[in-house]
Amino acid sequence: MNDHNVRDATCLPNQLLAALHAEERQRWTPHLKWVRLSAGQVLCESGDTPAYVYFPTSAVVSLMSSTRDGDSAELAVVGHDGMIGIAVFMGGNAMPSAAVVQASGVALRLSAPTLQSLLQRSVPMLQVLLRYAQALTAQVAQTALCNRYHSIDQQLSRRLLLGFDRSADDALSMTHEDAARLLGVRREGISVAAQRLQRSGVIRYQRGRIRMLDRARLELRACECYASVAKEQSRLLAC
Amino acid sequence: MPAQSLLNPAAEPRKNRLLAALPWAEWQRWQPQLEAVELPLGQVLYESGSTLGHVYFPTTAIVSLLYVMQNGESAEIAVVGREGIVGVALFMGGESTPSRAVVQSAGHGFRLKAKAVKLEFETSPAVMHLLLRYTQALITQMAQTAVCNRHHSLDQQLCRWLLLSLDRVSDSELRMTQELIANMLGVRREGVTEAALKLQKAGLIQYSRGRILVLDRPGLEQRSCECYAVVKKEYERLLPTTAL
Repeated sequence: MNDHNVRDATCLPNQLLAALHAEERQRWTPHLKWVRLSAGQVLCESGDTPAYVYFPTSAVVSLMSSTRDGDSAELAVVGHDGMIGIAVFMGGNAMPSAAVVQASGVALRLSAPTLQSLLQRSVPMLQVLLRYAQALTAQVAQTALCNRYHSIDQQLSRRLLLGFDRSADDALSMTHEDAARLLGVRREGISVAAQRLQRSGVIRYQRGRIRMLDRARLELRACECYASVAKEQSRLLAC
Repeated sequence: MPAQSLLNPAAEPRKNRLLAALPWAEWQRWQPQLEAVELPLGQVLYESGSTLGHVYFPTTAIVSLLYVMQNGESAEIAVVGREGIVGVALFMGGESTPSRAVVQSAGHGFRLKAKAVKLEFETSPAVMHLLLRYTQALITQMAQTAVCNRHHSLDQQLCRWLLLSLDRVSDSELRMTQELIANMLGVRREGVTEAALKLQKAGLIQYSRGRILVLDRPGLEQRSCECYAVVKKEYERLLPTTAL
């Protein structure tokens, strides 16, 4: 898809933009641009002021935090359910986390000043975005708890579900290295956990892609963190 | 006893940094609506999932935001003292939150009714900006807790936690048991005892029956992981510079 404006925004496949009222939609759509995001692309470095905000449709983006020693951990996953760049309306203009594209795909992009000026006249949309920020906060907090208590098996299952929820089909491009980086653990630990899931017929690795074979059992293997976050997000955003 | 403690803490809402940062007009509207509250150790300000009736502005108390699991185990995701507000879900939306807010260090604070804070957030841009910036800082603290829980040792985390608490009290003494610290960090009590002993042997703290006296703050900062400094810097960047 090219960098052209969105003509028909009535079926925007981003859940936040879908909440725009008809009158707001008319004002927003001329400013929204489709952009293609590639895996590994950094949308915003830690501490930088974002020039744009992104509303992913098929792309999936990770909010990553890293330590001075270079260890990293994913704080939250953002796909068609959310947006990248909440600091633009929260204030402060920067986040200490980095936004890195995890799965290639497309997103709708707005310049940061445009978002700020659109929101000044879109109170209902500001409320939607604040509720989203609240849901994102719940995801970050749950990750903190999960990192403290849950096994790699549980965490990998949780993370795969978050990925499948944001992908169009039941497949993900995620190597063991990717998963290790996201969860902030050693690759060997991920390999063992992934093999266990594959052997029990829950997932299948196929040329670098992970296919989900049995969602119900994957949910059983995930810690409660997956369901808690999903519940909070659907309560806040009713989607 | 220091002269300071002779003053009635209930009379000083502006010891809370957010209340102190309100513009004059807002402050005039808020002042008559603020209710002084005593916040004893262990008091639950709200439970996970319950509808919030008030927001709280601690002045001398410290409040922990905890996430609780189905089996009852919990871990602190953020701490709120005189720099902040408890109950951001009221203006962010949703009316409730999955976290539980518990008083971690006894003291005082002020509260404002849910309806009042929502009205102020909607009608005063200054209030909205102040509260959103605070929420942004709070999110940073939670994010740092996530990475800290993954990568740092209990020794480092204990130092971080003591420093975060120390910044929110007026002297260098913390009143808290190792049991409480273990619950907050989500670790076993024995681990905290061992880590605290190491700090005591190094002459950084002195521990006696529920009281921790900090003797060497720079020493604690050196032993803490970077998470303490990252969060502190972000709070300083985002929030009014009234002395913490």
